[in-house]
Amino acid sequence: MAEILDVSLEMRDYIVSSGAETLSECMQCGLCTNLCPWRLVHGEVSESFNIRKMQRQAQLGLDGFDEEEVLFACVTCGMCQVNCPREVKIIDNVIGMRNTTAGAGFIPKILKPVVSSVRSNGNPWMGAEDKRAEWQEGLDIPTFSEDTEYLLYVCCNSCYDPRGKKIAKSVVNLLQKAGVSFGVLTAEEKCCGESMRKLGDEELYQQLAESNISLFNGKGVKKIITTSPHCLDTFKKDYPELGGEFEVIHYSELLGNLLKEGKLAFSAEQAKKVTFHDPCYLGRHNQVFDSPRELLQAVPGLELVELERTKRNSLCCGGGGARVWAEVPAGERFSELRIIDAVDKKADILVTACPYCITMLVDACAGLEKGDVLQVMEMSEFLSSAL
Amino acid sequence: MDKKTGVYICTGCEIGDSLDIAALSKVATKEGKVPVCKTHSFMCGSEGLALIKSDIESEGVNTVVIAACSPRVNYDVFDFGPSIIMERTNLREQITWCHPANDEDTQMMAEDSLRMSLAKAKHTELTEPYQGENMVKTILVVGGGLTGITAALEGAKAGYKTVLVEKNPTLGGWMNGLFKQAPQKSPYTGPEEVDIAERVKELEAHPDVTVYVGAEMQEIAGAPGMFDVTINQNGNIITERIGSVILATGAVPYDPTNLGHLGYGKYENVITGQKLEELASKGKILRTDGKEVQSIAFIQCAGSRDPEHLPYCSGTCCVESLKQATYLKEQNPEATVYIFNKDIRTPGQYERLYKRVQKDGAIFVRGEITSIQEDDEKNLIIEAADVLSGSGINTESVDLVVLATGMVPTTAFGENLIEQVESDESDKTDCESSVEPVILKSNLLNLAYRQGPEMPTLKYGFPDSHFICFPYETRRTGIYAAGSVRAPMDEISSIEDATGAVMKAVQCIELSATGAAVHPRVGDMSFPDFAMQRCTQCKRCTVECPFGAINEDEKYNPLPNPTRCRRCGICMGACPERIISFKNYSVPMVGNMIKAIEVPDEDEEKPRILIFACENDAYPALDMAGINRLNYNAWVRVIPVRCLGSLNIVWIADTMSQGIDGILLLGCKHGDDYQCHFIQGSELAEVRLGKVAETLNRLDLESDRVRMEQISIADYDKIPDILDSFAKRLDELGPNPYKGF
Repeated sequence: MAEILDVSLEMRDYIVSSGAETLSECMQCGLCTNLCPWRLVHGEVSESFNIRKMQRQAQLGLDGFDEEEVLFACVTCGMCQVNCPREVKIIDNVIGMRNTTAGAGFIPKILKPVVSSVRSNGNPWMGAEDKRAEWQEGLDIPTFSEDTEYLLYVCCNSCYDPRGKKIAKSVVNLLQKAGVSFGVLTAEEKCCGESMRKLGDEELYQQLAESNISLFNGKGVKKIITTSPHCLDTFKKDYPELGGEFEVIHYSELLGNLLKEGKLAFSAEQAKKVTFHDPCYLGRHNQVFDSPRELLQAVPGLELVELERTKRNSLCCGGGGARVWAEVPAGERFSELRIIDAVDKKADILVTACPYCITMLVDACAGLEKGDVLQVMEMSEFLSSAL
Repeated sequence: MDKKTGVYICTGCEIGDSLDIAALSKVATKEGKVPVCKTHSFMCGSEGLALIKSDIESEGVNTVVIAACSPRVNYDVFDFGPSIIMERTNLREQITWCHPANDEDTQMMAEDSLRMSLAKAKHTELTEPYQGENMVKTILVVGGGLTGITAALEGAKAGYKTVLVEKNPTLGGWMNGLFKQAPQKSPYTGPEEVDIAERVKELEAHPDVTVYVGAEMQEIAGAPGMFDVTINQNGNIITERIGSVILATGAVPYDPTNLGHLGYGKYENVITGQKLEELASKGKILRTDGKEVQSIAFIQCAGSRDPEHLPYCSGTCCVESLKQATYLKEQNPEATVYIFNKDIRTPGQYERLYKRVQKDGAIFVRGEITSIQEDDEKNLIIEAADVLSGSGINTESVDLVVLATGMVPTTAFGENLIEQVESDESDKTDCESSVEPVILKSNLLNLAYRQGPEMPTLKYGFPDSHFICFPYETRRTGIYAAGSVRAPMDEISSIEDATGAVMKAVQCIELSATGAAVHPRVGDMSFPDFAMQRCTQCKRCTVECPFGAINEDEKYNPLPNPTRCRRCGICMGACPERIISFKNYSVPMVGNMIKAIEVPDEDEEKPRILIFACENDAYPALDMAGINRLNYNAWVRVIPVRCLGSLNIVWIADTMSQGIDGILLLGCKHGDDYQCHFIQGSELAEVRLGKVAETLNRLDLESDRVRMEQISIADYDKIPDILDSFAKRLDELGPNPYKGF
């Protein structure tokens, strides 16, 4: 026993009231720690961050949970949460703990410009607000109105990132080919706030959410298509608390439905070995496992292979929980494990359906110098090429 | 009875293809001069059975020897009623299935086996069931807590008169001191109102129940079916005749004055769980100084799972503390609860209570308490190792510390009488047992038994018997311990245990009334007969009976109580004068079986090994070896014994003087986790074996010629090696010099 620490029930209660509502239900079995993707890599964060211990310290209000490499390590992949025998809402507990410090402005240095950008530009990618709709150049997309069925909400990443813009365009292309009635409100939208909430800035999240909700409600939006599973999750699970009740669907699921209805078909043969990386927020968090696979299998000539960890057990790319901005040394990135797995499976293309996953996997593929054998593609990009 | 023996050899199940059946038949007809000997290829089929039945009915055959499969199978098929003496020769499992077919040694084995069966049949008599006098079917329950009340009520509902004796002036026991009881019903998330009063009411209203409160057992004399019980109710003496007894005297909390290291007796706000029940019953939980309690630290395993105190887990304290935590949370949801524990053990549905208390925000700390300090306001601060954060912690001060103390069975108290008796009379007794059971004078039953007035206890003072095989049994026939006196248990388990025990009590009453053994030889009608004119009053039988079945008169003459008896034959094995016999199991009978074995001359180089195999595990293991077609040494001949403890030393001498080269005793595992159905039998055999060396030396023989092995039924695969290694040792020793004498 190293030192004697004082229990602080006040601290415990503060954490609980900040969102860690199920904190006391944790019985400390440690299943979470064992399932955590951080156990698969070695390094400083992996050694410091133990989700069970972090919750233990919070239960007693002890120091330790609030150290930066602990507090901001969780990628919110949900692997622990879906397996917890006590059904503890572990991600909420982490957010609750982050709220206690982030609310007071104590966040990792690297996240400060991100948060500033959100505050001033309404997006975390330092993009100018008036350039949000730039990706639409050359496309004929109607503005959302009461005559359009869906609102297409494009993730900030796809609004500003050069690669992301291509994704947005591909999604639009597919939806149009399938005859979906949709419109956009891009220029007036703000970041969905998912990452802000996860990093612990609840106040900022709420500002963003309220702005979007009032926009959507004002325009009579009922149904939303998202390009990112993170926006999907926030709209679906978090916005209703603030009065935003919408029917939300990820583009992959919508396309999957249209495929079954015969409204979408792929004719260009792609004689490739393809594997699919399940994004945490599409798969584990929202149970969309089949649509992406059905779409890929509808492409003529394609051979679908599964990664070692797949569907419910998919391994996180490392980009959730605001860690898409984190600097992780090479060799400690989960995305590298995914690339190695895909290469081992002799896949030609690694397909995924999330802008964060794309960012992480593209970096890892380049870092590992596997670009010559493996191509990383967003699903809409790949499917557009197969039309 | 004039015996007319019929031998029926089955040739089915490969027996006929493996043996020379004509030669085997001659063993019966020529050597044994048996008047009837028949063979059939399917003896257990309708034709084979008809053959036997017709001989019984028209030929007057009254002693049937069936040479076929193991006696452990088809016993229901080969049952020709109580007037027929039945003997089974195990040709299939122990001969043809585990030895080469049409081999000289296999044939010799089968012939010897039949010879032994014929000898046994010759010395077997029909059993006559023991009939006690004035046998009754009333059940006595000692102890009027939840277990006793349940047992008495369940017994009465099953149609038996019950008598309940409680030493306190009111019924209800431990439950009377509770504010609320642990959940017994869905959703199992919170305490329930104590329902003992309703149970008492139901009991008192039952016409077949007689209750004596403020009463103690002065004496229980006699035996199952005919116990004479004396009850002292506030000085009035009442007598009852009783069939069987349930001991339900419960447990008491571990003495907290031993827990000074946890602050008990040192700080006034360190109390026990029992005390907290009392405080909660009064309404708002207040300290002695009047302060309203807003925070409690429960300390689990206070003196439990601790080699310095109670080494065992009491099984219920976690649930009790969780329950008590809800008392405080009900009064004030903001109250603070710490639960310091070694582990939280909430079996079954109690997990839901645990979860609820977690949800309520209780703080669970797994780890050792390092200190408890009192502050100026008499609040307490606990320092402990928190295993889960890897640091030591100091709590904020709490109003109350509650120690969750474990259970001590009421049988664990009292003076150890046996030790005294043994030291006083050690010159007179020739006790062979190294582990005489502990009997404490705890003033619960006051049995008029030679072995002592209470139940013998195993580890930690619990009066149980065989916790794996026979959980409801004790070491006294017809007396069943139930509830927390038998093992630490909660309310639900006590209710279940009481119900189980009362069913055993009913079984005992009914079987005793017919003269049959109760357990484990259920239905056995034989019982030991003592040829008293040759008794030397050595007391071996009375001392060694593990069940206290035999009392003594003042001249040390044994006074057997057949309904207490388990018919194991340990007394028969113990008796140096060989005066104890059963109608169908006796020292001369086995002696004649030994003599029936043909021992080839030394130059034939066919040694012989005699196995005395316990019927309960070793004999089935030998059968299992056959069923699995394991091959083993063909020199062996097998005599089943009721218990290895029934082995009389004279058989060793008989075997050796017969020229047989070695003896293997196959008995059950003994020690703390014994598997002996008769508790001490195999251990007694081993002790006796220690004394065999003397006999062997007198005969000028090596003591290695007798070996004992402990074997469980699952050890059948080890049998070939056990036999081979023994045969190898005998080969080194050379032939028995008595061969041919």
